[in-house]
Amino acid sequence: MIDFAAVEQALSLLFTNFSPWMVVIPGIIIGLIFGATPGLQISMAMAIFLPMTLYMDFVQAMLFLTAIFTGGSFGSGIPAILMNIPGTSSAIATAFDGYPMARQGRHNEALGVALVSSVIGVLMGYLILFVMIQPLSMMVLRLGPSEMFVVILWGMTLIASLKGEQVLKGLIAGFVGLLVGTIGFNELGMARGTMGQTFLLDGVPVIPAMMGMFAASELFKLANKGYIVESEASRKVRIGEIFRGFRLALRYPKVMLRGGLLGVFVGAVPGVGSSVSNLLSYVETQRRDEDPSSFGKGNPKGVVASESANSTSEAGSMATLLALGIPGGGATAVMLAAFAMHNITGGPQFIREQTDVVYAIIFANFAQVFLLVIIGLLFIPLLANIVKVPMRYLIPSVLVLAVMGSFGLTGNMTGPATVLIFAVIGWLFRHYGYSVPAAVIGMLLGAMAEKSLLHSYQISGGNLAYVLERPVTLIIFALLLVSLFGQRLMNWFRRRRQPLDA
Amino acid sequence: MYAKKRDYGDLLVLMALAGFTLWYLMDAIRVSSAIQNLLLILPLSLLVLGIVLLEVVLRLKQGTLLTRPGDEAEPLHRTLPVVGLFAAYVISLETLGFDVATVLFIALFLLMKGERNWLLLIGFSLAFGFGTAFFFAYMLPYPMPMLLLEG
Repeated sequence: MIDFAAVEQALSLLFTNFSPWMVVIPGIIIGLIFGATPGLQISMAMAIFLPMTLYMDFVQAMLFLTAIFTGGSFGSGIPAILMNIPGTSSAIATAFDGYPMARQGRHNEALGVALVSSVIGVLMGYLILFVMIQPLSMMVLRLGPSEMFVVILWGMTLIASLKGEQVLKGLIAGFVGLLVGTIGFNELGMARGTMGQTFLLDGVPVIPAMMGMFAASELFKLANKGYIVESEASRKVRIGEIFRGFRLALRYPKVMLRGGLLGVFVGAVPGVGSSVSNLLSYVETQRRDEDPSSFGKGNPKGVVASESANSTSEAGSMATLLALGIPGGGATAVMLAAFAMHNITGGPQFIREQTDVVYAIIFANFAQVFLLVIIGLLFIPLLANIVKVPMRYLIPSVLVLAVMGSFGLTGNMTGPATVLIFAVIGWLFRHYGYSVPAAVIGMLLGAMAEKSLLHSYQISGGNLAYVLERPVTLIIFALLLVSLFGQRLMNWFRRRRQPLDA
Repeated sequence: MYAKKRDYGDLLVLMALAGFTLWYLMDAIRVSSAIQNLLLILPLSLLVLGIVLLEVVLRLKQGTLLTRPGDEAEPLHRTLPVVGLFAAYVISLETLGFDVATVLFIALFLLMKGERNWLLLIGFSLAFGFGTAFFFAYMLPYPMPMLLLEG
């Protein structure tokens, strides 16, 4: 279950010199700032700072990106508690009880509860990942190309259908993304969709495209806002009271454990992740509580439930990324791009051959949480005021970083031009309700999907009956259909039963 | 109830996506009609075109083909100047250089968004523009187009 030789190598990878750790503190700070700024996303931070990982080795790059992830998951809770504005969708449920606590003058306690729950959540998630990653890779090893193909399609469908009533648009965005991902040379060495441009022979530059779609297009949307929060009384941050919150959080180990387990498993499902896990955990905690009516009025258990779940989701989504090489959302999509930049392909082979690297990433995250406590405490007073920065200063600054970063990636004007084109596409997508994450993940997985399908075709000799001999493929395909039509079918049955019951 | 305003943009985006899909499919067929080339592209393109058609039919039935989804969406024309400025910035990078283009972009953005404290406007644009351009030029191993600073 645990490869102890790899554990030893991982420890030496991390501790023989200090260099891997140099990037962790800046990573956490970046994550905290982007997480704490409503409108800015963690995936945006990761996309903008991705070019910097060009100068890092793979372990260092992963530590940097996971540090942003970790910092962001706690950072997003700060405005949720202080101003009732979740920094990202993963902290929606944090605001349900965090803000009422703040209104009662208990905002410091709420911040303490959130910080400890986040820290324990990350620890718990990575501990589960540490124990499960080897068995998981063994299971994944049994998946052939046909299974991988339907897993990609299923993941895409889940991500695309997240937006309730706009499922069709989500699917269009995801599938067009997949098509864009196949632009360039095919397996036969012929180039498609390049319009005669040599820079497209290797495909669309995915990272600048991702920067445009995730970051720039979102910033356009925020451009007409004066301040993030127009008016809100400032709340004094007191470290002593935050420590009281630490103790308060530890009184609810069951809530934390439930949130953690929910977070890690929900986080592993592509497209769902922390945005859903915090709400699920909150609802479950409220449902099981002796006094459900106290929720929404400043019950610290609500904050514990939400923050422990959204923090463990990070490890869940990392499990999918490492074991299958498939990103579950925006943040892991950026990590997949970092894998590609370092010529690494995620999947069971990677886990088996580079177990030490996988363990090093996990161990580094154990250490990161302790750094998060210290940096979180130091930065809370600053982060509490970040929403007072005028958007007119924030937006051009981040746009400039994205443009220069993209130039750094391609070494020519292709990068900035790609950012611009995909920023406009992303802006239109957001405006008309198309799923931007589905489109980006489609672009990332297009080539992989084509390769998997081609290998299935070669193995089967073009015989479709081959699929019938692959029960796992059929099961995943059935799951795909259920996630697409399940709810509609249920509604249809309910409607049919109603007249009979009546 | 509000009377929904007409908005052709949504339909145009849908048609653009269908148009791209069709063009890409044709281009792929032109390159090679071998199964290895079209194994994913052909069925996926047909699937996209099918979903687009379904979306159009459903919205025709609902009478929402020419309306904007969601009343809360901000009109596109309010954001258009920012998008235009950003496009001008990217296009001007090669001629004005990353240093001058960035300073101008930030200054114009601040001006457009109502900054009237000239000291702050000029100070921030110069400091951030030249600062980031210098940082990236120093960090990157290849030359960066610059007008005043060294690339």
